[in-house]
Order: sequence, then structure tokens, then C-alpha cells
Amino acid sequence: MQCSKCGNPKVIYKREQSGQLLCKDCFIESIEKKVIKTVKKEKLLDKGDKVLVALSGGKDSVTTLEILNSFREMNVIDLCAVTVDEGIANYRQEGVDIAKRHAERFGIEHKVVSLKEDYGITLDEIMQRPNHKGSCTYCGVFRRTIINKAAREMGATKIATGHNLDDEVQGIMMNYLEGNTDNLTKLGAKTESHAEEFTVKIKPLREIPEREIGLYVVAKELEVHFDSCPYAMQSFRGEVSEVINQLAEKHPTIKYSTLRGYDKIKGVLKKEMQKEYAHGRCKRCGEPSANELCKACSFLEELGV
Amino acid sequence: MEFTLKYKDLNEKREIPHEDYTIKDLLDELELSAQTVVSKQNGELVIEDTQIREDDEIQIVQIIYGG
Repeated sequence: MQCSKCGNPKVIYKREQSGQLLCKDCFIESIEKKVIKTVKKEKLLDKGDKVLVALSGGKDSVTTLEILNSFREMNVIDLCAVTVDEGIANYRQEGVDIAKRHAERFGIEHKVVSLKEDYGITLDEIMQRPNHKGSCTYCGVFRRTIINKAAREMGATKIATGHNLDDEVQGIMMNYLEGNTDNLTKLGAKTESHAEEFTVKIKPLREIPEREIGLYVVAKELEVHFDSCPYAMQSFRGEVSEVINQLAEKHPTIKYSTLRGYDKIKGVLKKEMQKEYAHGRCKRCGEPSANELCKACSFLEELGV
Repeated sequence: MEFTLKYKDLNEKREIPHEDYTIKDLLDELELSAQTVVSKQNGELVIEDTQIREDDEIQIVQIIYGG
């Protein structure tokens, strides 16, 4: 048994979908090349961009920072990072500390924003309230708002998130299964809003399977926070993920084909189904909003915060 | 014939039950999916088809968590 590319007998990975065998160096190179290819193909970066990486300290965001740094080294872009502390006891602090160390390693501007400081409540406290709407609902909305605000404050022109192939395929299937055609139009490698206050979001890892990102950080000996969010199993995403992974065992190309199929129909979907939102301001916080209150503030009002 | 297994807080000696015993066989015994872990043999990353030998140190690192 030897590496399909260089002949090295120390094989660390077998790509089920192609049968390709890879040694450590060729595997690392293949991931970095593929991400760079996605960046170029989807035109995710422009020269002079200041990219804010949403850095949790987990494997996906650390990999995003690591690979985007190669564009920084070539003086194509500048980088900065933000870490959101949602206030989840015995979980988040380790990720925050790891994120700080990576930002220091690269010498980039880094900001840690906590839900408690910004909104006066932690996710743990929200989850103790009766009739809450589920952890991911609040976490997603508050995190998006915080990251978008940080991008404006730090002068970022793009926000890079660590969404991988599995995340993207889960998003496609979840929205389809829920009949949420509006959200289905918002997926993709690059998401832009009509409102100027929303910074363009990019997903450089969109074509890399989650497992390959895990192997990449172990192979490169990058420090990451490997742990499960204590609220993760309560989500519909978790259920959808399980079904897709079961299918992928017998059909190893299914995640790629789901993504490719979505990319083919995305143009038509956007043209036919995308809603036009009114561009107003939230009367409570001043953030862009289609309604009187933005989503984050309407949750805060419901929670009495 | 024994090998050492390291997985999370586990650090124990285990019997090699038969010839051609692979990491994949070990993962099946531990009811772990090869999709959620990576394996090291004596400190070096290896694929799951790798045969476990006497006195090997096998480390299993969970890289994907549920949800």
C-alpha cells in the first residue's frame, strides 16, 4: 500500500469516493489546494480584502484561519478574528482560550464578545426559561448579529465561516425537508445581502468533508477544541446529519452530489423564490432589520431582557 | 500478545484476539464509527485497515461529535 501521489508507504487516508490513498504531506497539500481552488472558483476573495474569521477554536474555524493565512502571507488580504462566548458552562471557555492563542500565533487583531456582556444573558440562562425556542435558534441569531457588528467595527470587508461540506449538505436537506424555500436561496459559497450593513459571508471549506478537516488538524498538529456542544443533540440538524451519514456509508459520493445538485438549481431558486425584504432599522438596537425589531431584539423582548 | 489502547480517559492493555486484527476490528468492538475518529499507531496517523501488532500503542482521537 502506498500514497497514490508520491509512493510514500506511510498512508494516512483513503478517500472512499475515489479509492485514492494519501500520505500525510500529500493529504495536507490536497486539502489546502482544494480550499484555494474553491476560493478562486467562487471568487471569494478580492485583493485588499480584510477578512474577519468567525473563530470558535474548533477544527473548522481554525482550519479556515490556517489556510486563509496563506493569502495573507502573499499580501492578498488582511485577517482579523472574532470569537463569540455564548455562555455555555464547561464548554466554551476552552475554545475561547484556543482561539486567543491562534490569533496571537498569527499576530492578528482578535476580539472576544460575550452574549452576557452584549445582551445581559447567557445561553445557559436562556435555556432555563420555560417555553424557550431551542438553543440553536437563539445561538444562531445572536451569533450572526454579534459577528456582523464586529465586522463593521473592525472594518472587515468579508466574514469567513468554517462551514464544511457536511454543514452545507445538512443545510440544503434541512431547508428542503422543512419546505423553507427562502432559507434555501441563502446557502452557497458566498452570501450577500442587499443591505450594506451586512458584510459578505464566505465559506472557503464548503467542499471539504468534516472528517477530512478533523484529520487535517490532527495531521498538522493544530491545537483545536474537540468537544460537543452540550445542546447539539437537541437539534433537527443533528437528526438530519445522522441520516445523511448513514446514506454516505453505502454511497460515498452522496454529499458531493447533493452539493452539486443544489449549485445547479441555486440560480433558478434565487430568481424564482428569493424574497425581497424591506430595508429598515431595528428601533431597539439600530441594526438593519426588515421589521420594527430585529430578530435578536425580538428574542430579547420575549425573554424580558 | 497485547497492545495498549488510548482513547479519551482510557489507557489500558488489551489482548490481540487473532491474527490480522486491524484497527477497524477494534473500532467495531468499541462501537465507534471510522467516520468520527482518526487513529494513530505508535504516534503516527494510520488508516483503519492497519494491522495491530504486539506492543503497539493505538491512540484513537475523536474528531467529530454528535449533533
